[in-house]
Amino acid sequence: MKFLCVPCDTPMRMRATQESEPGSLAVVYSCPACGYEMAMLTNQHETDMVRSLGVRIGPAAAAAIANPGMPSGMMASFAAGAGETPAGKCPFAAMLGGSTQPEAAAAATPSGPAWTAGALERLEAIPEMVRPMARAGIEMVARENGQALIDEEVLAAARSRFGM
Amino acid sequence: MKAYSQIEGDGGSGVAEQIADLESAIARRLAGVRHIVAIGSGKGGVGKSTLTRQLGAVLVAEGKRVGILDADMNGPSQAQLGGVRDVPPLPGEEGLLVPVSRDGIKILSVGSLLAEGEALAWPSASPRHTHVWRATRELSKLAELLSAVHWGPLDFLLVDLPPGPERTAQFADFLGPEAAVLLVSIPSALARGVVARSVSALAPLPNRLLGHVENMSGYACAGCGTVRPLFPESRDASDLALPCLGRIPFDPQLAALSDEGRAITEIPDAGPVAAALAEVARNLIASFEELP
Repeated sequence: MKFLCVPCDTPMRMRATQESEPGSLAVVYSCPACGYEMAMLTNQHETDMVRSLGVRIGPAAAAAIANPGMPSGMMASFAAGAGETPAGKCPFAAMLGGSTQPEAAAAATPSGPAWTAGALERLEAIPEMVRPMARAGIEMVARENGQALIDEEVLAAARSRFGM
Repeated sequence: MKAYSQIEGDGGSGVAEQIADLESAIARRLAGVRHIVAIGSGKGGVGKSTLTRQLGAVLVAEGKRVGILDADMNGPSQAQLGGVRDVPPLPGEEGLLVPVSRDGIKILSVGSLLAEGEALAWPSASPRHTHVWRATRELSKLAELLSAVHWGPLDFLLVDLPPGPERTAQFADFLGPEAAVLLVSIPSALARGVVARSVSALAPLPNRLLGHVENMSGYACAGCGTVRPLFPESRDASDLALPCLGRIPFDPQLAALSDEGRAITEIPDAGPVAAALAEVARNLIASFEELP
């Protein structure tokens, strides 16, 4: 979808995205020629359409995928353990490029081992859908090995432990 | 006033670019896979998943490198069949590493991510309308997983499809024209009718239809070693007008093995079922060797 400023006959540029209210996404466009601004507000069905494509709207959208299709119970319990409940997370976080909240996986579980930045980066590089399971497995291996810090060595140990 | 095609770029939404990037990533991930075989039917309950897993085991025994993609996100069974239900996918140095069965098959299944009896949740902004976009969501989620998995070199990636003739065609389209399709039938007129619908649904697509496998083709009696009819009106499936890659009798032993996540190749003398699966594997391999 593209937006054209009719008086200027100039393509408009996306300026911002935000959740306008539950179930609606606001995408603000401005005309680079005259500065005119407009906002597209999606209804629930249009929001779902965007979500179904698994994309983020807006810049800085690398590796951005919307987050439906979560294992409900496991995801809920993992998110709660990470100090973040599904209800407390912006439902549009995965749809808005450049303005997303930190991923749940980036937070350390209060009672679990700590993660090095490098190990966390690896975890965040895999699809969001599989992160809770991966994280739980890696932390289990860390505990088995008496490791308080998860680093590349623990990741390698986890791969070995699970036959990969 | 400018027309759509006269405007360069998308104004900053990045949607088309993201979809193109995702497709490129999937193509890179599958570049080391020699043959993609989508195993479907259209009919549910004909043993697609068990056949997929055990065919994979026989292909491994033939020296092939095999992966299985469980495309049935709502009724995943490959994690259980492969004995990897409790094995998480993990981040590797070159991408997402998936669980590996004891006989060496790499298995990507949502079943590895779900607790027993748990279903995937598909939250929607429009309550009571989750059905509208659900199929698209499933495919975009599957695409995301496929874009991340480091399969490494494989001879065969077997894709266990969900039931439904239309879904069979939809997934064939999703996997791309290089994916071949193998259909599973059972010797009943009802099942053959549904499989025939899948053949029709696949007809407009460029995907190669390899043929069909007749599953539950008689009952392998462990007592006397003979194979007897299982369905009252058992007859050949020539009305499907497809090459038959093999007929596999029903064997309770195979069902028990599968429930335990074991491969038929673990059993030294598995009888008629093992022989039938070996024939399917040979015909499958031959069907690709015939290609120019």
